[in-house]
Amino acid sequence: MTRSLTEPPVSDPERWVELYGDYLFRYAMTRLRDPAQAEDAVQETFLAALKADKRFAGRSAERTWLAGILKNKVCDYYRRASRETPFADLEFYADEESGRFVGAGAQEGAWIRGLGPRPWPTPAESLENKGFWQAYRDCSERLPKRTAAVFNLREVDNLGSEEICLMLKISESNLWVMLHRARMALRQCLETHWFGKAGEPL
Amino acid sequence: MNWLKNLAGTVGALSPTCKQAARLQSEAMDRRLSFSEKTGLRLHLLLCKWCRRYGEHLKFLRSAARQCEEHQGHQASEGLSPEARRRIEQRIRSEGQ
Repeated sequence: MTRSLTEPPVSDPERWVELYGDYLFRYAMTRLRDPAQAEDAVQETFLAALKADKRFAGRSAERTWLAGILKNKVCDYYRRASRETPFADLEFYADEESGRFVGAGAQEGAWIRGLGPRPWPTPAESLENKGFWQAYRDCSERLPKRTAAVFNLREVDNLGSEEICLMLKISESNLWVMLHRARMALRQCLETHWFGKAGEPL
Repeated sequence: MNWLKNLAGTVGALSPTCKQAARLQSEAMDRRLSFSEKTGLRLHLLLCKWCRRYGEHLKFLRSAARQCEEHQGHQASEGLSPEARRRIEQRIRSEGQ
């Protein structure tokens, strides 16, 4: 079958689940971490897309468009959740943070000997390594749900502090504490479970 | 050697602790630090290899996070369950009519 070049390609909603279902589901799972919620978000995305009834030249454009709708659905979910219970999670990692630094005395606040950051061999090559991405995923799944959500909004979706605070109704200083702890925990986890193993003996 | 002691004392007073420096290095990724925060942090980093490393690791973490989604496909990670697939397909079909 040949199609004239001027005719816009027809998007076929019957094939959406087959073409984009898994991609969108994983996208939602990273952010919501709950299969039932992620499925709902994917379904809502397709239904909203049906209503919008747009046509795209090519699958990658269509996928990007659908991912954009899903992103908004996920943000709606966060907004609702932040209305029910405060989103800030300041308990997380407070102990471990203080556990890495000297508590009192002349050296107060310094890295405890042996617990400071170690050199990471070949970080750039790690980004090409499947094992690294497995470790990255395992480590980010260990973060508490809300801390992970905040980290993903900031670092994966690249939203600004202000935007995140408005969405989640948290103060900027709470946001910064959460991001700091998320980074600290992720860094430590990757050091223990990836760089410590992949590299030279520490 | 007294002047050396004095110098160390002055630097110590201006420079944040490692714990504070870790926090500042993280916050520098999310907001503009004040002049004195920035100066103190720079001074600290000059003297502390652990915190320099920490900062490099944070930068690495950011670049990893920015591309983590491209690498998700690499993993044999789970997709939609067959039931969810069927249910969603049905919904689309019924709404589409």
